[in-house]
Amino acid sequence: MTQILFKNINMKDLHTMKVYEEQGGYQALKKAFAQKPEEIVEAVKASGLRGRGGAGFPTGLKWSFLAKDVFPRYLCCNADESEPGTCKDRELMLKNPHSLIEGMILCSYACRVEIGYIYMRGEFHDLIFNMGKAIEDAYAKGYLGKNIQGTGFNLDIYTHLGAGAYICGEESALLNSLEGERGEPRMKPPFPAVEGLYAKPTVINNVETLCVIPYIVNEGAEKYASMGTEKSKGTKLVSVSGHVKKPGNYEVVLGTPIREIIYDLAGGIRDDNNLKAFIPGGSSVPMLPADQVDVLYDYESLAAAGTMLGSGAMIVIDDTVNIVESTLRLISFYMHESCGKCTPCREGTRWLYQIVEKIMQNKGQLDYIEKMEDICDNMNMKAFCPLADACVSPVVSSIKYFRSDYEAYFKNTPVGSV
Amino acid sequence: MSDNEVTLTIDGKSVTVPKGTKVVDAAREVDVDIPVFCYHEKIGALGCCRMCLVEVEKMPKLMTACTMDVMPDMVVKTTTDKVEKAQKGVLEFTLLNHPLDCPVCDKGGECPLQDNTFKYGPPDTRMEFHRANNAKATPLSPVITIDRERCIACQRCTAYSERIEQDQGLVMLNRGFYNEVGTFNNEPYNNRFSGNVIDICPVGALTNTDFRFKARTWDLTNTETLCAHCGCNCNITMGTRLNELMRIEARPNDAVDDGWICDKGRWGHQFVHSKNKIITARENSVGGGKPTSFPVFPHDCTIQDAAGKVAEAFKKIAEEHGPESVGFIGSPYTTNEENYLYQKLFRQSLGSNNIDHKSYQDTPGLPVDHYGVEQIETANVVLLIASDPTEELPVLDLRIKKAVTNCGTRLVSLNDQTIALDKYSSQSVQYRVGSEALAIDALANGLARELGEPAPAKDAGQTGISAEDMNTLVETVRSSMKICVVYNPSALSGDAVSRVKRLLKLIAKVPTMECGAIPAAPMTNAVGAMDMGLLPDFYPGGVPVTNQDEIKKQWGENAPTTKGLSALEMIARAEAGELKALLVHRSNPVIDFPGGSRVADALRKLDLLVVHDMLETETTELAHLVLPSNGPGYDEGTTTNIGGRVQARKKALETAQAPDWKIINLMLNALGDETDYQKVLDVTDEIAQKVPGYQEISRKSLGKAGCDRAPVTSVDETVAEQSAGSGKNGNLRLRVATSLFSHDKILDASSRLAHHFLPSTAHLNEKDAKKLGIRDGDTVLLSAQDVTLEATASVNNRCQSGGVVVPRASDWQGVNGLTGADGGPTWVEVRKV
Repeated sequence: MTQILFKNINMKDLHTMKVYEEQGGYQALKKAFAQKPEEIVEAVKASGLRGRGGAGFPTGLKWSFLAKDVFPRYLCCNADESEPGTCKDRELMLKNPHSLIEGMILCSYACRVEIGYIYMRGEFHDLIFNMGKAIEDAYAKGYLGKNIQGTGFNLDIYTHLGAGAYICGEESALLNSLEGERGEPRMKPPFPAVEGLYAKPTVINNVETLCVIPYIVNEGAEKYASMGTEKSKGTKLVSVSGHVKKPGNYEVVLGTPIREIIYDLAGGIRDDNNLKAFIPGGSSVPMLPADQVDVLYDYESLAAAGTMLGSGAMIVIDDTVNIVESTLRLISFYMHESCGKCTPCREGTRWLYQIVEKIMQNKGQLDYIEKMEDICDNMNMKAFCPLADACVSPVVSSIKYFRSDYEAYFKNTPVGSV
Repeated sequence: MSDNEVTLTIDGKSVTVPKGTKVVDAAREVDVDIPVFCYHEKIGALGCCRMCLVEVEKMPKLMTACTMDVMPDMVVKTTTDKVEKAQKGVLEFTLLNHPLDCPVCDKGGECPLQDNTFKYGPPDTRMEFHRANNAKATPLSPVITIDRERCIACQRCTAYSERIEQDQGLVMLNRGFYNEVGTFNNEPYNNRFSGNVIDICPVGALTNTDFRFKARTWDLTNTETLCAHCGCNCNITMGTRLNELMRIEARPNDAVDDGWICDKGRWGHQFVHSKNKIITARENSVGGGKPTSFPVFPHDCTIQDAAGKVAEAFKKIAEEHGPESVGFIGSPYTTNEENYLYQKLFRQSLGSNNIDHKSYQDTPGLPVDHYGVEQIETANVVLLIASDPTEELPVLDLRIKKAVTNCGTRLVSLNDQTIALDKYSSQSVQYRVGSEALAIDALANGLARELGEPAPAKDAGQTGISAEDMNTLVETVRSSMKICVVYNPSALSGDAVSRVKRLLKLIAKVPTMECGAIPAAPMTNAVGAMDMGLLPDFYPGGVPVTNQDEIKKQWGENAPTTKGLSALEMIARAEAGELKALLVHRSNPVIDFPGGSRVADALRKLDLLVVHDMLETETTELAHLVLPSNGPGYDEGTTTNIGGRVQARKKALETAQAPDWKIINLMLNALGDETDYQKVLDVTDEIAQKVPGYQEISRKSLGKAGCDRAPVTSVDETVAEQSAGSGKNGNLRLRVATSLFSHDKILDASSRLAHHFLPSTAHLNEKDAKKLGIRDGDTVLLSAQDVTLEATASVNNRCQSGGVVVPRASDWQGVNGLTGADGGPTWVEVRKV
C-alpha cells in the first residue's frame, strides 16, 4: 500500500523536529530553493494534485492564478476541518506538524508569499499549542523567519483559532473571520487569488494538500502523478467513521474500490450487519446505497455515481439505521451552521428541519416528500454559498434511495431494524 | 462605443452601459424590472436576499443580477420558467416567517415586499408551522423602532451602516435563523445619519418612531421640497396629512445629497408646529426702550396695514436722519426671493446700503470654479480649510467619506481643531486657534515659492505648524491633478477669507491643475444671501457698490453707491445712537452674534426695531414691532446651496398668513414701487433678469433637481500685511465650534433629537490643562467681557495649546457672550471651579 502522508505517521516523536529531520524532513527546501518559484508551481501542476479540502480544484492551477506583481501576498492554510466525518487534518497536525510547515514554506516560496496563516477551527485549541511549538522550532532552525537558509526568502507563519463556525471553512468566510469580521462568505469575484486576505492575492489550501507538497518536490511530479487514475492523481486520506469495526484515517491511492476501504481497511460493518448506505465525502455530499459499494474512490467515478469525493470523509451507515433520523440530524447541523446571510439557506434549512421533525412525529402528510423535494430545488444552487446545497444533498439523496423509510411514517409503522 | 462600455442583451433588448455596471442596473435602463430587496444602487451589491436571480446564457446556474457585472455579449433572461420558479421560491422563503401584518404596518402601500410578492410571488404559502414570533416594537434609538418580526434580514441597513456611515453602528447579531439587526452591546443606534435606514428598509422593520401608526402612506400628501437646515439643501419629501407634518423622507438627488439626509433634516422640522410660532403682526410694549412716535398696530391690524406702516416708518426715519440711519439685517436661512426683495426695498426705496446677514467677513464669488458637491468624487485632492463637515454640513461628510473610500480621493485638512473626518485624511495640519490667516498665507507662500512667484522668504508669525508638515501640504496641493478646496468662511476670523481667495488664485496658476472651491458655510442659504446682495458693499450678483454704471443701469439713478454698514457695524452704531431704525429678518443677533448682552443693549437704543421672524426669540422680545414670517414648510422660493445649485423649496403646509415675499412686496408698494408680484415665481423671474449668474434660473430649469447658477463675479481681494497676534497673559484664544444638534430655537426642548444635545464643554489641550490644574471632566468657568460661562472640561487636544474650543451646545449656553461685539479675537480666562 503506497503511503505518502501516513508513511511514518505513528512513529514515536515524529512531531519533534529531531525525528522529523531524521526521516528526511525539510530536505525538500534545499531542492526547492535551487529552483525558480515558477518551476515549483509547474511541478505541482504536473503532479495533478487536486485540493483535498473538498472542491478538488487543481492546486498548481490555483497557485498560478495569483494576481501578477501584487504584493504582499498571503497564504492561508485552511485547518478549519469542520465537515462532519472529517478528521484527517487533525491527525496530520497532531502527529506530523512539520510536514505542514514544510509544505507551507514550499508553497510560500513558489507563490512569493511572505506571511502565512494557519486558520484552525475553534475546537483545535489543544492542537494550536502543538502547532505553535513546531513553528517555534522551525524558527529556531532557520526554516522560518528572515533570509531562510541564506536565500533571501522570508516567511512568517501564524496560527489563528476560529470561534466555532462551520461556515468559516468556506475560504472567503475564513478570510473574513481571519480579518476579525463576521464569518460570512464573500462575494466572488473577486476571487481570493486576486483580492483575498486584506484585499491582497491569497492562496488558500487545505492542510492535507500542503502536506503533499514536500513529497512532490522531493520525489518529483512524475512519481506522484504515476499513482491514482487518469484525472485523480496520488493518494487521499479517508476518514472512515460510522458503523465499521475499525474507524479511523486511512491513506488510499485514488481509484481504490470503496468496498476495499470499508471492508478491508476499516474491517467491515460492526456486528457484521449489512451495509445500508454510505456518504463518501463528508456530510455535504449525496449518500449512496449499499449496492454502489463497488464504485471506485476517485473524483470522476464518484461524480459519475452522482456524488462527490469532497473532503474524503466516509460515513458508513448500517441497516439498523432509519435514514429519516440521520437526515434530520444532518439538516439540524446545517440549520445550526447556516450563517443567515442569504434567504434560501437561512429559511430553507429550518423549514426542512420542521418538516422532517413532523414526519418523525408521525404527523406528516403524504405530500411532504414532494414538498421537500421542491424546497430543495428552491435552495439548490440558489444560495450565496454552497452551504445550502450541502444541506440539500442528504435530503434529496435520502429520498431518492430510501423513500420507503419516509413512507413508512405515513403508514404509522415504525421503520428500522425490524 | 468606447472601451469603457459594454453591450449586452436583457430579455431580447440590447443595452449599452458603462463597464462595471451591475446587471440589475443595466436592466433598469431598458425598463426590465428585476426585483430586489438587499440591493441598493448607492450601497452596492450584497447578494443576500437572492430575489434577483436571472438566467444567463452559458452559465450553469441562475445568477444574482445585483452582484454580477455586465459582460460583453452577455444574454440575460429574466422571465423564463426557471427564473419565475426561483423568484416564487425565494419569496416563499422570505415570507415564511414574515408576520403579514400589512394592515397595521407603516410600510403598507409603499412596501417592496408587498409589491414584489404581488408581482412575482406564489399565490399562497405552504408553510404550516408556527411562524417565528420575533420581538415587535423595540427601540433602536429614540427615533427608530425596529420590528424584528417583520425583518427579512436582507442586511441592507447594516451594509448602509458599514459602507455609507462607515462606523458599523448597526450590525447583524447572532447566526443563521436567529440573526437579527442590532447594535453592539445594545447601545442606541445614534449615528447622525441613522434615519436613512428607515427609507431603505424594504419592509416595515425599521420604522420612524415619530411616524408609527400616525397615518397610512396613501393618505399622505407628499411635497417635494428642500431641507432648511444646513447649506447642503438636501432634497426631501414632506409627508403631511390634514395640514400636519407627518414625516420627512430623503428624495435622492445625486448632484446634492446622493440620496441621504441627516437626522436633523429628518426630525428637525417639528418647529413648523411650534407653539412659539409667530402668527400675527404685533406691537411689543418694550420697557426701558425709547417710546416710538410711530403708529401702533391694533390687535386686528391686517398684514397689509402692518407692512405699510413699517415701510412708512422706515421711510420717515430715513428722510429725517438720512438713509444711513436705517439698516437691515437679513438671514442666510431665508429664500433668495425674500432676500432679493428686502435688499431691493432698502436700496431702491430707502436708499441705504446698510444691509448684511452675517457677523463674519466674506465676499461673493470665487476666483476659481465654484464646484458642485458631486465634484468631490472626481477631485483627487480635497482640501478642507477651517471646515468640519460632520458638524456643519453632514451630508458633505458622507460625500467626502465616499470619495476617500471609493473614488481614490485624498483628503487633507487645515484646521484649528481636530475633526471627525481626520481619520479619513492623509494629512491633518493643525494651526493655533486664531492663526488661520498666518497658516493660509504660509500655504500660499509655500506654493508661490514653488511656482517662482514673489513671496516672503520666511513666513511671519507662529502657527504651531512644523515646516515639514507645511511642506508636505504644499506638495500635496501642488501635485494634485484636480483639487477641491472646501472652506468655511464663518469659521475664519478677521480677513482670513480673503487670504483663502488669494490662495485659490495661486493654486489656479499651477500648470495643468484643475481647481475649484466650495464656500462651505453651514447656513441654509449663505451662498444665496451673498448672491442676492445682502451685503453692505455688493449688489446682487457680486456687483461692487463702486460699480456706479452697472448699478445705475440696473437699480436706477438713486441707488446708493457708497459702502454701507456691516451687521456688526450697525450694532455698534446703534449702541452709539447713530443708527435709528433696524429691520431684522429671520435672525437672532442677541444670541447668534458676538457680543452677547451688548448686542441686546445696542438694540434697545434703537428708535425702531422691527423683527420679521417665524419663532419667538430673544430679539423679537426687544422688537417694537413684530411681523410674522412663514418659514420652512409653509414658504416657497429658491435657495442656493454650497455648491452653487439653485433649487426650489415648496410649500407643504397651508397657512392663512401672507408669505414673506408678499409682505415685503406690500412694503415696496407702500413706498411707491408698483410691482405687484402674483406668485413667488414672479420674483424668481425678476432675479433671473437682474442678478448676474441667475439668468438661467426659471421654473422650467429648476425642475425637480435644481439647476446650477453661473459663477458670480469675484473681485480682487486686497489683504493687509499681518503681524503675529499676541495673547493676553495666560488666557486662551476662544474658538466657537458649530455642533449639528445644538439646543436652540429650532431644536427646542420638545425636539425628537434631544438625545443628541451635548452639555456645555470646553475642549482643552493637555498642556494648558496641566498648567491650569484642570483634569478631564472637571467643571470649569470661562470668562471674558465680564461674562462667565460654565462648562465641563474635556482634555483631548482638540486644538493646540493656547486655544480652547467650545462647541455651541445651546442658545442658553451663551458662548457668544464671551466674544467681543466687534467680532475680533477673544481671549478667555479658564479656571477650575
